Amino acid sequence: MIMPDMDSLAHPQERRFNPYTENGGTILAIAGADFSVIAGDTRQSEGYSIQTRYAPKVFRLTDRAVLAVNGFAADGNMFVKKVKQRLEWYHHAHAKDMPLRAIARLIQTMLYARRFFPYYVYNILGGIEEDGTGAVYSFDPVGSYEREACRAAGAAQSLVQPFLDNQIYFKNQEAAQGTSHPSHLPLETVLSIVIDSFTSATERHIEVGDGLEIFIALSKGRTLQGMESIRGLQELTVTEDGERLFVMRRDLKKD
Amino acid sequence: MNSILQRYSGSNAGGLSKSTIDEDNDFSDAMWGSEAGFGTLAKGVPGFVVPSVPDPAAFLRLHTDDHADPSCRIKIQHGTTTLAFRFQGGVIVAVDSRATAGSYVASGTVKKVIEINPYLLGTMAGGAADCQYWETYLGMHCRLHELRNRERISVSAASKYLSNLVYSYKGMGLSMGTMICGWDKTGPAVFYVDSDGTRLKGDLFSVGSGSTFAYGVLDQGYRWDLTDEEAQELGRRSIYAAGHRDAFSGNTCNLYHVKEDGWKFIGNYDITKLHYEGPGDVAGSPGHGYGYDMRVEGRSSANPPEAPAQA
Amino acid sequence: MSIMEYNGGSVIAMVGKDCVAIASDLRLGSQALGISSNFQRIFPVTDRVYVGLPGLATDVTTLRERFRYRVNMYTIKEEREIEPETFAHLVSSTLYQHRFGPYFIEPVMAGLSKTPSGGFKPFIAATDLIGCLNFAKDFVVAGTASAKLFGVAEGLWEPDLEAEDLFETISQTLLNAVDRDAYSGWGAIVHVITKDKIITRTLKGRMD
Repeated sequence: MIMPDMDSLAHPQERRFNPYTENGGTILAIAGADFSVIAGDTRQSEGYSIQTRYAPKVFRLTDRAVLAVNGFAADGNMFVKKVKQRLEWYHHAHAKDMPLRAIARLIQTMLYARRFFPYYVYNILGGIEEDGTGAVYSFDPVGSYEREACRAAGAAQSLVQPFLDNQIYFKNQEAAQGTSHPSHLPLETVLSIVIDSFTSATERHIEVGDGLEIFIALSKGRTLQGMESIRGLQELTVTEDGERLFVMRRDLKKD
Repeated sequence: MNSILQRYSGSNAGGLSKSTIDEDNDFSDAMWGSEAGFGTLAKGVPGFVVPSVPDPAAFLRLHTDDHADPSCRIKIQHGTTTLAFRFQGGVIVAVDSRATAGSYVASGTVKKVIEINPYLLGTMAGGAADCQYWETYLGMHCRLHELRNRERISVSAASKYLSNLVYSYKGMGLSMGTMICGWDKTGPAVFYVDSDGTRLKGDLFSVGSGSTFAYGVLDQGYRWDLTDEEAQELGRRSIYAAGHRDAFSGNTCNLYHVKEDGWKFIGNYDITKLHYEGPGDVAGSPGHGYGYDMRVEGRSSANPPEAPAQA
Repeated sequence: MSIMEYNGGSVIAMVGKDCVAIASDLRLGSQALGISSNFQRIFPVTDRVYVGLPGLATDVTTLRERFRYRVNMYTIKEEREIEPETFAHLVSSTLYQHRFGPYFIEPVMAGLSKTPSGGFKPFIAATDLIGCLNFAKDFVVAGTASAKLFGVAEGLWEPDLEAEDLFETISQTLLNAVDRDAYSGWGAIVHVITKDKIITRTLKGRMD
């Protein structure tokens, strides 16, 4: 048995409660006119160690709502569980899915209820609004939120977001004489920007890589328009109204 | 109507819920449905989960205060310029739209004016979530006041409600510096409320990291008898000054004007566009860029006017 | 608050086809307060070598003079202009001399080096504040917006860009990166170095 030496006991020792770790990874969502794309890598790490190469960060909530969580994985998984529980109760009470903007407000109140013991989670909610438009809502850990057209969060947010500003919002780009920048991009373009963003982040950030999961929510009556055969695509659900949800899985570099 | 009122008004404004140990045991009927998103409103102030440590506020500060420790994990968004002033024609409210986390510009499109109801505006500085949540909550209670008393709440009463509310959480780590602006029986009114519990009535306030820059322009140009156009231009120009000089303010300026018949959104102005081109074809526009370079080009000694052609 | 972020500012260099580009923002700040929108931190070393010095502004001035002195001494002794590779090692050794009390600068270099056949080869390099050299083949970045610059550059850069395309690529990379950085911005300057001329352009950037 090792006896504590008297010297170490002579000094005051500090113990602190630290219930948080950072599990890396990056999430990203982009809203189109009648679709929404929500993506995340699948690596989960702690420090320089990879805990697993497949830990989903993007979750289907309803047929037209997808939630991406990033930060502390344990908090994230628990939070998604509780959101899903509340959505199920809502379904029992109202016999319909909760609309996207209401889910956004629900997430705010659920996050803010932990104002003094926060979930260490950055949330991005994507999906289809009641009026059929694609939407993205982004949250801070204690529940402030905003509807946006595109948002990256997590370890590589500072790498990805300025690239998105340039490619999605056309920031610092002048439209050619007599033309203007499109306010919404086609799905095909958005998907290639998402994939490029993650391959770039994988190159330059050690916490990003292994796999990529992209959820695609399509509005009523919208088709994939020739993208049915795209590699790694899988249909998850079709609603009675005709909204469709897809997931697309790709590999990212594993080094 | 009364039963609805009773359901919602059995509240004590303030104090933490005692059920902080096990949140799962405490589901109200309201959680099953939707109550405007505030699932626990029926019981008054929502219950908050508090970590079971001797000093919860110190715990929160340890993990969230990036000012004291930039490497803390949970980065609550900071940095702002907001202003509001009272004048002959009502109240002008102008804010920037930047949110920063450390040196990273987390968003350039933040709505820092919270539309509490058609007659009341709140501004956002400090914790974004604190302002959004409590001012939304304040809006619901202003509506309950209307139902109870058959008249609109005064700006003074609304701001006091908020002030008392945040005061009950004093020391817990809430962070907000807000101006509650509106028009009531007494005319235009502006109240400054912050999370320390300060509540001040006044003509002119600016809050946030860029407030000193905004005050510089504001104080210089402020008069009670400003016309609507002049007042709107002063608000815009002040936010521009802060957006330009302060690293943690900028992107765009949102401008509101409160008059007797409620608030009106005047416009959203890109700070860089204000610098190079000015606000464009709007009331009170100077017709040129606000930027220093735009105003001195070819006139200062460092950049002298071209010498007249020699004969 | 890191001393490296006290004044703000960022530099990036990129390789193109028979050309290189180096660009920087123009902000000089004192923490959150913007002081100058015309602070030059990129300097010519020879006709074909430029160096960018992001970091603490006081050291920008000191190091610039120090490099000028050492390059002049080299030119006098050798009776020829310094090559970019040599200059990179000069930078590295100057910084390492101050290993335990460093200049708070992370230099970025860009230039064209002479080949034995009489042609020119693009060269870029960067070091950390104590002189560890990084010879990249695509792009190098440094300063308060470095993470943002890495992200955008990784997405926009491609091999063998002609001078005008390289100018567009480096400009877009820089402008979009500094717009997400509170401590960089307030205008930008770009130098494209080709074998027969240097194109210098000042960019209208966001002013907030």
